[in-house]
Amino acid sequence: MPALRLDSVSLCYRLARQRPPSLKEYAIHWVKGSLTYEQLWAVRDLSLTVTKGESVGIVGRNGAGKSTLLKMVAGVLPPTRGRCAVRGSVAPILALGTGFDHELTGRENVYLNALLLGRRRREIDRSYDEIVDFAELGAFIDSPLRTYSSGMVARLGFAIATGWRPDLLILDEVMGVGDSAFTVKCEKRLEAYRAAGTTVLLVSHSAPAVENGCTRCVWIDQGRLVADGDPKEVLGAYLASLGSPAAAG
Amino acid sequence: MLRLLPYRDLAWELVLRDLRVRYRRSVIGLAWSLLQPLLMMLVLHVAFSAIFRFEVDNYPVYALAGILFWNFFSQSIVHSMNALKGNAGLIQRLPVPKAVFPVAAVLSGVVNFGLALIPLFAILVATGHRLEPALLFLPVAIAIAALFTLGAGLLLSPLAVFFSDTVELIGVLLQLAMFLTPIFYPMKIVPEPFLALVRFNPIRSILEVFRDPIYYGKIPPLSHLAVASGLAIALFALGAWVFARSSRRINFYL
Ligand SMILES: Nc1ncnc2c1ncn2[C@@H]1O[C@H](COP(=O)(O)OP(=O)(O)O)[C@@H](O)[C@H]1O
Ligand SMILES: [Mg+2]
Repeated sequence: MPALRLDSVSLCYRLARQRPPSLKEYAIHWVKGSLTYEQLWAVRDLSLTVTKGESVGIVGRNGAGKSTLLKMVAGVLPPTRGRCAVRGSVAPILALGTGFDHELTGRENVYLNALLLGRRRREIDRSYDEIVDFAELGAFIDSPLRTYSSGMVARLGFAIATGWRPDLLILDEVMGVGDSAFTVKCEKRLEAYRAAGTTVLLVSHSAPAVENGCTRCVWIDQGRLVADGDPKEVLGAYLASLGSPAAAG
Repeated sequence: MLRLLPYRDLAWELVLRDLRVRYRRSVIGLAWSLLQPLLMMLVLHVAFSAIFRFEVDNYPVYALAGILFWNFFSQSIVHSMNALKGNAGLIQRLPVPKAVFPVAAVLSGVVNFGLALIPLFAILVATGHRLEPALLFLPVAIAIAALFTLGAGLLLSPLAVFFSDTVELIGVLLQLAMFLTPIFYPMKIVPEPFLALVRFNPIRSILEVFRDPIYYGKIPPLSHLAVASGLAIALFALGAWVFARSSRRINFYL
C-alpha cells in the first residue's frame, strides 16, 4: 500500500461570479431553466503513486494547479472525479499563518492552531515547550501575535505544524520564509522526519530546494502531469520550457 | 459526525473563545446577557399580565421560561448559520471537520442557557413560586432542546453558505415561528383557526418539556417526552445527513 495514491483525479471549480448568490435569484433562474456555471478544471485526470519515504517536489507555472492538487491530498477539497487515498496522518502547511488569531498571544495560538490540526489538549501540553523552543520566540510567546514580524509568525506556524511527525507532510511554497538560519533548521527537521519514514510533498519555486531535497520531481501544467522522474531531469526540462532557467516562476 | 470525536478539545476551545467574545472579557457583557431576558420579561409582564390574568398565574415565570428557551433556540440557529462563513479561511486551508463550527455555536448557546437559569431561579424565589424537585429534570430538557437546535443548525448552516440571503430569510421565518409558539401567551387563548398550527408546531413540544418542570413543578408526561425526544432525534438525524451530504460542496462556495 503506497503512502499516497491518486487515481485519475480531476477537480473543477465553479466560478463564483457565475453562481446565483441568493436563494431568490436561484429560484428565478431555476424556474427559467437558465442555471449556467462557468467551469474551471484546475486538475485534470492526474494519476500519481508515491511510496512511503519519498520526497516529491512539484513544479509548474503559476496557476498550473499545484496548490489545488495539494488541497485534495490534504483533504480540504474533494476531487470532482477520481480517487485520492492517503495512508496515515497528514500535516498540511498550505499557507503559513493559517488559523492564527492575531489578537491572541503566541501561547494561546499554539493551542488554538494545534487543536485545529486535530491535536488533543494533553498532547499539546506535552509538546508545548519543544514547539516554542523550535520557533525561537523566547519571551515574545506571551505577546499578542499582531506584535510579531511576519518571519516570527512563519516560524511559529512551521513549528506547530511540524510539532508532531506526520506520515505525510505537505508544504506549499512555505520553505525559506524565515531567515537563513531558520531555513537550515527547518531543512534539518525535514531530513530527520524523512529518515524516520515521512513522505513529503513539496511545492517550491526554488530549483535547488527541489533538486537537493527531493528524490523525485513532478511537473504539472494546466492541471495535467507533464513529467515525473528524477529531479535533475524533470527540473531541467521544466526550466528549459520556461525559456531561460532564470525565469523560474 | 464521528469524525468530530478527535476534535472535541477543539470544539470546547471554540466555545470558550466564543463566550469570551460574547462577554467581551468584561462583567458588563455578562450582566447584560443575564439582564436582557429579565427586561423582556418585565415588558411582557406590564403588557400582558392583566390580559392573561385568568389563564396564567405568575405570568412572569411563564414568560421568562419561554423567553430563555426562545433566545437559546433562535440565537443558536443564527450563530451556527454564520459559523461556516465566519471560519471560511480555516475551512479552506485545514482539513478540519466543518461540523465542529455549528456544533461549537450550539454548545456555547447551551452554556449561555445554563447561565440564564440563574436569574430565572431568582425570579422563582422572588415571586414565591414553589421550588419542586422536578427542576432537577431541567438538564434533560435542555439536552433535548440542544439536540433539536443542533439539528436545525446543521440543516441550515450549509444553506447559508450556498445562498447569501438565507440568514435574512430564516430571520423572518423565526419571527413567524415565534408567534406560533406559546412563549408569551397561553395555549388557551389561541383562536380556533390557528390552534392546529400552534399545537402541531414541533418547537412548542420542545419548549413545554423545558417549561413544565419550571412552571408546573412537574416532570412532563411520558407521552410528551417521547414526542419531544423523537422530534429532536429526527431533526438531528436530518440535519446531520444534509450536512454530511453538502459538506463536500461547502469549500467551493465559501
Ligand atoms: N477557489 C478558487 N476558485 C476558483 N478558481 C480557483 C480557485 N483556486 C484556484 N483557482 C484556479 O485554479 C487554477 C489552479 O490554481 P492553483 O492550484 O492555485 O495553481 P498553482 O498553485 O499551481 O499556482 C488557477 O487557474 C486558479 O485561477
Ligand atoms: Mg499555489
